[in-house]
Amino acid sequence: MEKKIFILVVEDEPEVLDSIMRDISDFEAFFPIEMADTAEEARELIREILDRDDQVGLILCDHVLPGDNGVELLVEMQKSEETRKTRKVLITGQAGLKETVRAVNEAELRHYIAKPWEKEELISIVTEMLTDYVLENVRQPLRFMQILDGERIAEFIRKGGGLTDN
Amino acid sequence: MSKSKLAGLILGIAGFLMPLVVNFPGLSLAGHLAMSIFLMAAVFWMFETIPIYSTSILVIFFQVILLSTEGFITYSGGDYSPLPYTRFIATLADPIIILFLGGFVLADASVKYDFDKSMTRLLLSPFGTQPRYMILGLMTVTAFLSAFMSNTATTAMMITVILPIVAKMEPGDPARIGMALSIPFAANIGGIATPIGTPPNAVVIAALNQQGVDVAFSSWMLYATPLAIIMLFFAWQVLLRLYPPAVANIPLKLDGKLKKSRNAIILYVTFALTVILWVTEGLHGIRSAIVALIPVAVLTLTSAFEKQDIRKLPWEVLWLIAGGIALGISMKETGLAEWMVAAISWEKFSYLLLLAVFGAVALIMSNFLSNTVTASLLIPLAISLATSGILEGVFGMMMIGLVIALAASFAMVLPISTPPNAIAVSTGMVKTKNMISSGMIIGVTGLILILLMAIFYWPYII
Repeated sequence: MEKKIFILVVEDEPEVLDSIMRDISDFEAFFPIEMADTAEEARELIREILDRDDQVGLILCDHVLPGDNGVELLVEMQKSEETRKTRKVLITGQAGLKETVRAVNEAELRHYIAKPWEKEELISIVTEMLTDYVLENVRQPLRFMQILDGERIAEFIRKGGGLTDN
Repeated sequence: MSKSKLAGLILGIAGFLMPLVVNFPGLSLAGHLAMSIFLMAAVFWMFETIPIYSTSILVIFFQVILLSTEGFITYSGGDYSPLPYTRFIATLADPIIILFLGGFVLADASVKYDFDKSMTRLLLSPFGTQPRYMILGLMTVTAFLSAFMSNTATTAMMITVILPIVAKMEPGDPARIGMALSIPFAANIGGIATPIGTPPNAVVIAALNQQGVDVAFSSWMLYATPLAIIMLFFAWQVLLRLYPPAVANIPLKLDGKLKKSRNAIILYVTFALTVILWVTEGLHGIRSAIVALIPVAVLTLTSAFEKQDIRKLPWEVLWLIAGGIALGISMKETGLAEWMVAAISWEKFSYLLLLAVFGAVALIMSNFLSNTVTASLLIPLAISLATSGILEGVFGMMMIGLVIALAASFAMVLPISTPPNAIAVSTGMVKTKNMISSGMIIGVTGLILILLMAIFYWPYII
């Protein structure tokens, strides 16, 4: 069995969560999506996913959450061996400069999405992030070619990754 | 472990044990052991219980411990005089392996300096922007590159070229499918054109070499390149008929420019020199495996190709080929191949029917199996048809060798048939059913053409 690669969405406002889910629904067939509305719930989900020997490929995380905030969750994920490779995207309407700097420095934040966003923008960020993840962590990325950045995956194979003549 | 892999494991072990407990009359002890190795390899290759290159390594390992003078079994007075173990491990430095090594170094260095992309820009531009000719252009470039580079890497590179083109086409334009199929088909077809085009060619040429039959680089091209060109045009026409382009023009923009660094220029010169020496082997007589050492030497001594580049070469493909060559050696030397061939009364087959049967079996098998594996399993039997006098000597050996190698490369019906096919289907532009219908037409026509060449062309030039 191939390991499943999950997308994790952490967002406490139901309308915003709905809109994210709607925008990224095309990915669901290849990357199962899990939702959480607090950092606490996200931690549990991550634990469950890792315990099943699956992986978290991407986390889209709201900044303001009840309890621990999004930046804290991302920094914590960065510190843990198992979730260091997960691509991390912060979604927010109002992150202060200090918080943002911390997310960049300590959580290797790859992308920052300001509310409101365009659907195309979100899709292109998710595509880019998951392609990064897959090329670094999956031995045979061919099966993701049609949903992710096909050119980058083809380029990876051209350079000798994953496939050879047989 | 999946069910099919588990089934393969059990069957493979059973296959290995069977000749150890069943006594086949007329077959020596060594023949029985060679059959153990053959059955195990055939099953493991078919079920891919372990990686196919790993099966090849296992073949060599068992040959060394069971069939060599240094092995565990002492052969005395029988029909088999054991070979030194060096004979089996030397397959890894067989001239054809060295030829491939040279090809790999050239190809990987080309990728490193984007020479494949530069050539694509150069060669593609004269074909213009009309979709039908653009597809012909894509196919020509793909076939040309895959004759010298790996079919897989060529396909991957060409996919990066067509993805932006296809993205600009109307979603309903049938030419999207045609274009996406044209690349893997052209890569598969281009592979037959030269000895280094694709691994099955290597297995067949090595088996012929073992019999003392030399195949010069230029001779192979003389036999196979005309077939590749005809099939390329044919495949182009098939794709145009099945998937006629809906628009008159497609904008084509290819970014990038020729690299002009010192190392890049060293590569261009080495590439040109090597290819020229290869295709003119018939004129100067320097063996292609010796020529293949030129790129290896020049590119490494100039540091155009460095240590980390050497590490990244597809070594497992060389092991895969070596295992195929080694399997042929043990089947021949122990008398197994001859014994297996003798089990069928071939006299009832006419010469042409014999070629047709081997061609059809190769075509069908390699649609489901690796092309190299197909050639490795069939060529020992084919060779012993010739050595046991059913086929006529050297000529017969050449003919059936060509038929097997070429037919194996014309298998392109399914995504699993070849890695280029897998890449094309993975883009999502092509459905498997598109590949089945067009691949079937091309495969069957290819086989018929091979047989026509066997009647009307090769006899006059071999």
